[in-house]
Amino acid sequence: MNILRKAIDWGMRKSPWIIHFNAGACNGCDIETIDALAPRFDLERLGILQQGSPRHADILVCTGAVTLQTRDRLKQIYDQMPEPKYVIAVGTCACTGGIFDGCYCVMGGIDTVIPVDVYVPGCAVRPEAIIDAVQKLLDSLKGGKKGGEKNAG
Amino acid sequence: MNEKRIIGNRIVIPIGPQHPSLKEPGCFTITLEGEKVVHAVIGVGYNHRGLEKACESRSFIQTLYLIERVCGICSHTHSTAFCQGIEELSGITVPRRAAYIRVIIAELERLHSHLLWLGVAAHEIGFDTLFMYSWRDREKVLDILAEACGNRVNYGINTVGGVRRDLDDNVIQGISKMADSLENQLKYYLDLVMIDTTLSARLSGIGKLSREDAMKFGAVGPVARAAGISYDIRTIEPYGAYGEIPVKVITDDHADVFGRTVVRIREMLESLEILRFCIKNIPDGGIAVKAPRRIPAGEVISRTEAPRGENIHYIRSNGTDILDRVRVRAPTEANWHGMKHMLEGQYLADVPITIAAIDPCYSCADRAIVINSGNKTEVMDWQRLRQYSIEWYKKRGVDMASVKMPESKAYF
Amino acid sequence: MQDEQTSTVQAEQAIVEKICEKFGFLTGKVFVQRKKRILTQPLDKEEFEQLLHYAHDELGFYRASHVVGTDDGEDLGFIYLLVNEEGVILALKERAPKSNPQINSMTGVFPSLELHERELVDLFGADVRGLPEGPSFPLPDGWPKGNYPMRKDWKPEYFDRKTMTYNPPREDADKEAKSDE
Repeated sequence: MNILRKAIDWGMRKSPWIIHFNAGACNGCDIETIDALAPRFDLERLGILQQGSPRHADILVCTGAVTLQTRDRLKQIYDQMPEPKYVIAVGTCACTGGIFDGCYCVMGGIDTVIPVDVYVPGCAVRPEAIIDAVQKLLDSLKGGKKGGEKNAG
Repeated sequence: MNEKRIIGNRIVIPIGPQHPSLKEPGCFTITLEGEKVVHAVIGVGYNHRGLEKACESRSFIQTLYLIERVCGICSHTHSTAFCQGIEELSGITVPRRAAYIRVIIAELERLHSHLLWLGVAAHEIGFDTLFMYSWRDREKVLDILAEACGNRVNYGINTVGGVRRDLDDNVIQGISKMADSLENQLKYYLDLVMIDTTLSARLSGIGKLSREDAMKFGAVGPVARAAGISYDIRTIEPYGAYGEIPVKVITDDHADVFGRTVVRIREMLESLEILRFCIKNIPDGGIAVKAPRRIPAGEVISRTEAPRGENIHYIRSNGTDILDRVRVRAPTEANWHGMKHMLEGQYLADVPITIAAIDPCYSCADRAIVINSGNKTEVMDWQRLRQYSIEWYKKRGVDMASVKMPESKAYF
Repeated sequence: MQDEQTSTVQAEQAIVEKICEKFGFLTGKVFVQRKKRILTQPLDKEEFEQLLHYAHDELGFYRASHVVGTDDGEDLGFIYLLVNEEGVILALKERAPKSNPQINSMTGVFPSLELHERELVDLFGADVRGLPEGPSFPLPDGWPKGNYPMRKDWKPEYFDRKTMTYNPPREDADKEAKSDE
């Protein structure tokens, strides 16, 4: 691992920017994700900032089972993110397809389309769990995990 | 999506389908003439999951939990409508206490949904202080819901024949405490909206939908009530315990975004009154009766008043435990058509708040591509559109940063 | 109990009587299901359209809330739900055979039906004549033509989501499997 990479990872750990995408959720996890940024939980105090554009984001927080219509958009957004990039699947549907598994317009979990780093089950996921997921992801970076490179092979 | 069309000096802008901060995807294609919107096409269906088909292969109890996840914000109203339909088909009566519990949860849900909307709307016009305030207050309601149902979203409290959990005294006391403190806050917001000139300059006259148009396009919920139509299922067809509870329908005659804001805040105050009535008069007794194994054949149209408006479920049974057809008409579906009408003739700067004002269950938008007649393509996302609208208004002297928040009562 | 029921549905009864007075051939086909609900039997296309126009123009059913499509074996059913200012729902039923599922669009009378009629086209394969142009709803782009997921004979198990193709098991394969048994 070169110096630059170390510096990037250090920066990431201190202040990751997240982008939120709804791939076909019921809105339950989405409002909880926003709630994590609202005053009660306030992710921003931990240096985590919500970003509108995927080009500025480090972490994709993705909710919901992937529908056929959002599948390509999800891929696009993932491709637009600069490396290193990480994905958190929020909610049972995002992990496996959950209750919507078997519906004709549902692909299944997020990992059927893009690689996922952290899975957070729950219906709906609580904001505490989302904060914990981000924290676990950041902790794992200390071990030198390389985001975005795992899909190279 | 990346449809580029230039008709004369008209500019076509597709907005969609990803919203950077909130809710669900949708796509709006907007044609501009100068700064005015002349035509709007609404493309939805990004969240089409094939849920109604799935209902046809699951038993009605499994379907209940699926139906609850039609929408995470108004999950209780969907499951109530569904349960009511099944109960009507199989001829069972819900115990009175259970009916009251359903009303309490429904009103708490209305509170949390309207507070959420107030925050989102404030965010869209660049008034982030109000966003933070209302989402902070929303936590109070969610705390009660979590204590009563065990979950903050998707409560899972309804079952066919009643409810699954009883409310204990702690919850009931919690509700009355919450109602008192929330009432102060809500009155404060109402004052803010009514008195502050900046807000009314930003919201008045935007997204006009007159009474006639609201009727023609079939608007429901706060959109219709803000246009002076006194249409509320809680009074028109008092379901559950609403027959015993006095409900005042809130209407307003502004017929614009300002009116919708006022209606929603007043409705929250009314919800608090309903909650106070419920906790005072909640009867003792059982909370559920046994549901039959099979649902008798027949069809039923069941409806409830969701926070966003009238919610209709059509259920047809063929005599087994698997339903033949379930059709859910969520309130947002009824408000789309009016929105097209609202957008046309508006300035581009008013598009975000107009879309937000119907409280769409699938919001929008990432990339909006502005195509100038000189073939210059500019990529604009929802956040930039929002920024554009805030700047546009600032130039015209409407700046949310100038709003002085009067000191609010100590809260936490 | 019975008396109470009849007295509460007087307004609904009056609407039904008005309809039967105007259209004699509908007698017995329109009935009050319960309070605030008036249902019809499945009607012919002409009968249906006459009644829908009459309900909109004369009876004050100003709003169409939605259309429910159903698969009734050989036929497709369409249930149009109209609402008046008192909140009474009038459910008008229309039927068309699957071999020729042609109905006329009612968006001329009720503009709010646009999305719902598009849904009938996508999900049931109905041939709605006179629907204004616009994006399809709600199936995703690239959905294979001729697949109508809400029809009962269409099974999601046979739909390959990756390639967007519908591969039902061949009938002769079924027979072979059976003969093996």
